[in-house]
Amino acid sequence: MTAKLAVSALDKRFDALEALRAIDLAVAPGEFISLVGPSGCGKTTFLRIIAGLEPATSGRVTIDGKTVTKPGGDRGFVFQNDNLLPWRTVLGNAMIGPEVAGRADAAARRRTLELLKLVGLEGFEDYHPRQLSGGMRQRVNLARALAVDPEILLMDEPFSALDAQTREIMQTELLRIWEQGRKTVLFVTHQIDEAVFLSDRVLVFARRPGRVQETVEVALPRPRTLALKRTPEFVAYVDRIWRLIEDDVRASVIEERG
Amino acid sequence: MTVSVSENHPPAAPPRAAGRDLFATLRRNHLAGLVSIATGLALWEVLSRLVVANPLFLAAPSQILGAIVSLAATGELWRHIGISSLEFVIGYAIASVLGIALGLAMASSALAKQVSQPWISGLYATPTIALAPLFILWFGIGISSKVMVVILLVLFPVTINTEAGLRTTSPRLIEMLRSFGATPRQIFLKVSLPSATPFILAGLKLGIGRGLIAVVVAELFGSRAGLGRLISQSADAFNMPELFAGVIVLAAAGIAMTAGFGWLERKLVPWTQD
Repeated sequence: MTAKLAVSALDKRFDALEALRAIDLAVAPGEFISLVGPSGCGKTTFLRIIAGLEPATSGRVTIDGKTVTKPGGDRGFVFQNDNLLPWRTVLGNAMIGPEVAGRADAAARRRTLELLKLVGLEGFEDYHPRQLSGGMRQRVNLARALAVDPEILLMDEPFSALDAQTREIMQTELLRIWEQGRKTVLFVTHQIDEAVFLSDRVLVFARRPGRVQETVEVALPRPRTLALKRTPEFVAYVDRIWRLIEDDVRASVIEERG
Repeated sequence: MTVSVSENHPPAAPPRAAGRDLFATLRRNHLAGLVSIATGLALWEVLSRLVVANPLFLAAPSQILGAIVSLAATGELWRHIGISSLEFVIGYAIASVLGIALGLAMASSALAKQVSQPWISGLYATPTIALAPLFILWFGIGISSKVMVVILLVLFPVTINTEAGLRTTSPRLIEMLRSFGATPRQIFLKVSLPSATPFILAGLKLGIGRGLIAVVVAELFGSRAGLGRLISQSADAFNMPELFAGVIVLAAAGIAMTAGFGWLERKLVPWTQD
């Protein structure tokens, strides 16, 4: 297997705090990988390092064999808070990537309009963020990341601010969109069922220091529908991952309370 | 005027209904305001005619209106308005450009900020209008001394707001742009500047009232023409209707310009309205 994205011996320290220790990872093209773990396990930091928003202390991140150190058009980042520009329309927000790259031409505009249609925002191109619901804003967030046609999609808990029903809809929507382009995806989440539902592989992170505790291959057939969540196989995966992180989660909850 | 859709409005439905509600509310609010002003004027009229009954102390609204009409007819009012407007416009324009530039410099350079911060904070907190007589001594009795006083009063709120607006740009929005590989220049133009615009407009709006005060007070201290001159010479002659005429014209100018700014804000920064 030639890896699309490879991470080797990655360490990250914030002064005295060891955020990430010795992370190794190889992601195949078109693979959907989720990162789960308790608060403070460094999974978001890991994603930010791959995005080039944060430098690693040591180790290497490569995409197609080339080392990355800063953000670039080969990666698209979907943020936890949608981070939409309130003064721009939906289309204007989605076009920001091509614009920054100096490629905001008619072709990019057409492609972005197609993407907005793909994420279910046809007819809302001229709306402003304040006129949209949370779910719709996250759709813009996703379209914005896709608009630079990235090879890797980095998603940082994109559905965590949504209510439970909207989240489930967005999960199936994301799979539908992913099936059409088969981009490589790294998806950070707190929700174990979300990780199992979406992924080919789930990386289970442990904390203090942040590290990959175990990798769980999810051998569930695709395309997946919400009905899958009620099958015993699905529940077994969720249970297994929950048992892996239970102690860590309890520890982090107590710490946050104290 | 277009009305923005309220936050929780389902986007699929047209915003027509919400818009009409808002218009109705506006009309009600305006009606109450108009009634309030009319009542106030009527009370004023009654009070000055029947209770005070001495135009040396209090002029009635009808007498003030008469003074405005006759001053306008002789052309004297327009001369005063012309001079004051010129002083205001020149001073305000210079202060706006200078203030925004200074604010940009302070936001983009730590050194510029350290150097200018104590001066700006100090002078903003000082009632610098007290320096107006000094400016007249330095720059003469003509327009230039008034322009300088206007600059002195308008500059600081514009500078401070520009700097604050740029400094408080959401780090999350900056990071979003950074994730697309944006250069510092792109971040400034696409995020910092637009997000600072409401602050800059608020600073400019604050400057209107301060600029008008600057014009009038500077003229009171020494001038050949202008609304401040009209007010002081009417006071010397105990001509209360003309004195009030000057004040009313100034008030109208202030209200009109502030309302104009409200319109400008709705046009330029509609996202801050909710």
